[in-house]
Amino acid sequence: MKRSTILIRIWGIILVLALLIYFPGRKWARAHVNEKTAVADHPLLCTSCHLYIQKTGIVSKLVNDKYLSPIDLTVSGDGKRLYVVAQESNALLIVDTERNKVINKIGVGNQPHSVILSKDGQKVYVSNQWSDNVSVIDLSVGRVTDTLKTGNGPAGLALSADGKALYVVNSFSSDVSVIDLYSKEEINRITSGNNPTGAKLSPDGKFLFVTSRRMANTPYGEPLFSEITVINDSSRRISEYKKIESAYMMENVAFTPHGDLGFVTLIRPKNYVPSIQVEQGWMMTHGFGVIEPGKEGKVSELLIDEPNSFFSDPFGIAINPEGKKAFISSAGADYISVIDVDSVRKLLAGASPEVRKLYSNNLGISSHYILKRIHTGANPKGIVLSPDGKLLYVAEMLDDKIGVINTENLQKVSSIDLGGPRRITVARRGRRLFNNSSHTFQNQYCCYTCHPDMHEDGLVYNMSGKDMGRNVTNTMTLRDISETAPFKWSGTNPTVYKQDGIRFSTFLTRTESFSYKDLDALTAYILTGIKNPPNLQYNPKGELTEAQLRGKEIFERTKDNNGNEIPEGNRCITCHTPPYYTNRKMSYVQTLAPTDDSILFDSPHLNDIYATAPYLHDGRAATLEEIWTKYGKNDKHGVVNDMTKIQLNDLIDYLKSLRSPLYEYADLKKNHVKK
Amino acid sequence: MNKQRTTILFLIIMAIGFACLFLTSCREKSKEDSIILTRTAGRIENSNLSATDSKKYILRSEIVSIKPGNLDVSPKVLTSSFYSARSPEISNDGQFMLFAGQKKEGDTWQIWETDLTNLNTKQLTKLKEDCTDPAYLPLGRFLFTSHSATDSLKANESILTSNIDGTDQKRITYNPYMYRASHVLNDGRILTIGVQKFPETGDQKLMIMRPDGTKSELFYKGSGGSDLSGPGLETNNGRIIFIESEKSNPGKGNLISVSYARPLHSRLNLSSEIEGDFHAVFPQPSGKLLVSYRKTTSDRYALYEFDSENKDLGKAIYSSKDFDVLEVVDAVKHIRPRKLPSEVNGIMKTGLIMCQDINVEDNPMKISGTLLKKISKVEIMSPDSSMGIFKPSGDGSFYLKVVADKPFRICTIDENGKVIRKCDWIWLRPNERRGCVGCHEDQDIVPDNRIPLAVKKAPIGVPVHINKIKDKMIDTE
Repeated sequence: MKRSTILIRIWGIILVLALLIYFPGRKWARAHVNEKTAVADHPLLCTSCHLYIQKTGIVSKLVNDKYLSPIDLTVSGDGKRLYVVAQESNALLIVDTERNKVINKIGVGNQPHSVILSKDGQKVYVSNQWSDNVSVIDLSVGRVTDTLKTGNGPAGLALSADGKALYVVNSFSSDVSVIDLYSKEEINRITSGNNPTGAKLSPDGKFLFVTSRRMANTPYGEPLFSEITVINDSSRRISEYKKIESAYMMENVAFTPHGDLGFVTLIRPKNYVPSIQVEQGWMMTHGFGVIEPGKEGKVSELLIDEPNSFFSDPFGIAINPEGKKAFISSAGADYISVIDVDSVRKLLAGASPEVRKLYSNNLGISSHYILKRIHTGANPKGIVLSPDGKLLYVAEMLDDKIGVINTENLQKVSSIDLGGPRRITVARRGRRLFNNSSHTFQNQYCCYTCHPDMHEDGLVYNMSGKDMGRNVTNTMTLRDISETAPFKWSGTNPTVYKQDGIRFSTFLTRTESFSYKDLDALTAYILTGIKNPPNLQYNPKGELTEAQLRGKEIFERTKDNNGNEIPEGNRCITCHTPPYYTNRKMSYVQTLAPTDDSILFDSPHLNDIYATAPYLHDGRAATLEEIWTKYGKNDKHGVVNDMTKIQLNDLIDYLKSLRSPLYEYADLKKNHVKK
Repeated sequence: MNKQRTTILFLIIMAIGFACLFLTSCREKSKEDSIILTRTAGRIENSNLSATDSKKYILRSEIVSIKPGNLDVSPKVLTSSFYSARSPEISNDGQFMLFAGQKKEGDTWQIWETDLTNLNTKQLTKLKEDCTDPAYLPLGRFLFTSHSATDSLKANESILTSNIDGTDQKRITYNPYMYRASHVLNDGRILTIGVQKFPETGDQKLMIMRPDGTKSELFYKGSGGSDLSGPGLETNNGRIIFIESEKSNPGKGNLISVSYARPLHSRLNLSSEIEGDFHAVFPQPSGKLLVSYRKTTSDRYALYEFDSENKDLGKAIYSSKDFDVLEVVDAVKHIRPRKLPSEVNGIMKTGLIMCQDINVEDNPMKISGTLLKKISKVEIMSPDSSMGIFKPSGDGSFYLKVVADKPFRICTIDENGKVIRKCDWIWLRPNERRGCVGCHEDQDIVPDNRIPLAVKKAPIGVPVHINKIKDKMIDTE
């Protein structure tokens, strides 16, 4: 046989084989992609699922990058240096403002949150939210010289009037540590509102104002409120808890120089209103609270939104030295709103409480005091004014830049590149999408709004999938969910692709759905980029306490206290199987309310459950205890009625200790190395 | 030798290819630079909608293109095979033009589309009635106004949407209104001029709705009644621009700008200092406006560029002693509006509406409760009859399931049975769910964050069946 004939035959066989593989293979791939995405036209890209959602290994390292993500900043007394918290890279960046250049990068603790300067300007304090401590940086040597132990989840920082004590707001344990800066010891712990964050001493030095982000625990349907905790600086005791009605996510607080007004950022959610439309602020409104310390401490709420334009997720706030202009960063909208403080004074002067209440639900009122909107880079968070008030520095978190705004002509004048990676990875693009409200109708909210810190906002929403007033649902966390499908309480979404696909736009964002490219990016971020914080509060070292060990036994038990076999389907561990404590199956635990459609519920995952109150699908249980003491009387949600109070306490103690497998593996590795 | 010949042949083919590319790109550029306008040899007497009623296009007109940089060349007529043509609208890629055309005198008006690169024109609608005022919707659909004098809902002119090939036509408005001069905003909603026609003719207003006809609401209304003569168009700095004339002075069209963010309270008259009459406007990407304007009634409407920053009318771009410029569009690429998802489900026969507190009224500065004692009942009215009367819940809320695609209005009634206020005609699309904060037109007020008592029960069905409930009263308490 001729050589050419042989070659033709070989090529023919290869071609036939290729065709045989290609057509059925393509058909299989199409069916596979359709199943995962719940649409029929998603491009057949293997990379979407098999490359960008890798969490570990070489591939993950290749497709991801380590960004800086500046979240907070402060400025030196002479205005020549900026101290920038780079949250994602666990560092403090020192920026020369004359050369617009980073001159030093100092490693701090895990997930740094806030920064302040000492009274003498010689030291910088950085709170490390996931390390439960504060890094003290001596600027003369340019490194961390001390680490101060704090409560759980340190965030906002403030100095006492005499500069001798440091207030550290513990966002996870909802209290404030008072640290004596001489002895470096915590000398007091003061209970605050729920999930506190920002802290500021009043200009007269008498009171510390601490904001909180989550609402106080309130039964569904009851009026919602969050709290500003006011602490007397000299006695270090609570002065009062100010109730802020129908508002939450108070990130930061600032005062006019004379202290006659304080401004606090806030969001006014509409979770009790059936979510039947977005138009006219039916889902979320954003604004600020005005604290009038001199007038019996009244707090009025005003919006920064307009009827057809929303400025979601207000975060940073600053007031200029003259007390005339206030600046608020809208992290979801990429804008700074400039507020004429005198117009706010005028508006509130003589306004009765009833009129003030009407103001808080009025989108037109902002035309009285908004001077200008200034566009910023992606995700503006912390802001700070130069000492002379002429420049406003903006931490553009997802651009790795500091925006510089001239406060006289209200124009952005420059941008300081902090030196983050040049390339924008798929997951980073997903994070930008997650944090940007342009993907909802009129920018009213973004994923982050209901999932702050990629977690959950603690609210129960009337999503009104069918009828209004029915099927209310407790917001679920998005942390560490990659192995916990299906999603939603109803378990109707087997993948994040389906969760955030076309139905998401029809019922939630109410605008054009994500392009497939964006959906791939958002999915990559949600499945790879969102971690649970280490559970330092209930499981700091990976070793369970005696009570937790007893609770573990109860969790895993097969017989009740009377020696009776517990049916397999009614054991805790059957539905809540480690390491994520979910069997990813639907269950019936007799928690249906009369307003629920008759459905089964997805067994929720339990890691970091201590941080996800309220509990059950409709948030009816304010605490873990209530799941069984109030709503588990029929032994359908696990057998518990034979247990003593101590046993229930142990079980709950154990549940609170559950944490992400990521930390379990890390501790195992550490112990292995030690041995 | 053979190799050399092949190389030469290859080079020749490459050269021809590049030449083709070069010539094609030249042609593209010249098209993008053109301005398209409608002109008429007749004289515009009164341009407002109520005057022209069901026949908008009374003057014979044609659509032409001009090159702003080359005004010596005569305008190129784009609709030479039509008796009359109006309402040009350019696709977001700048390649196609929708327009309403009348092929022969006496024909009905239908919607056509022209490929601007080769001027091939195809007919998109073939209805018995006049079809006018086309506008592109995103991703392969368009909308137009359909004129029908015998509509069962007393709607003289309703808006329909359709695939770009003319298939899958769907009516989206269902109230006794006439709708004209629609435009799709960047947020994906339709902005259109609406005029109530039943029981009496109302004022002209800018109405806004989603492309499936849901969430229709007031966008802008002039104080004291005014006439609008063209679509409200979006500028690149967040304003909506249109021509408005006061009823008391119909000969003076003003160039009006309102903010997209708060249209009911941000009216600016850009032409207050300019003597004369504006007839049409189109915002350019540069921020400047193309306007049709005449100084005196003896002049013809000519095309000018208007600097909205300085409120300054420049020199005429195009003028003719034989023609008035009726409309103008810029044949350039522009942002594609968002494609909004639809909640309409054709299988359903009803929609849901919830009002949070019927006592909330327009003026937000008034203390809530001033009307609380007065409002005793709520009546739902169709154009022909009452559809039911009921008491709102104790917190002023009510929750209704209303038959879809039928107009109705909500009336508040006092203790003595007197009507306190009638809201505008609205309709619900099948499966639409919408809410209102109270009895008001102002869009400033957002709902209070509380559970309305009415949604704790099943919705009240409307129309109420008269045989079941003798006095047409439902006590929701």
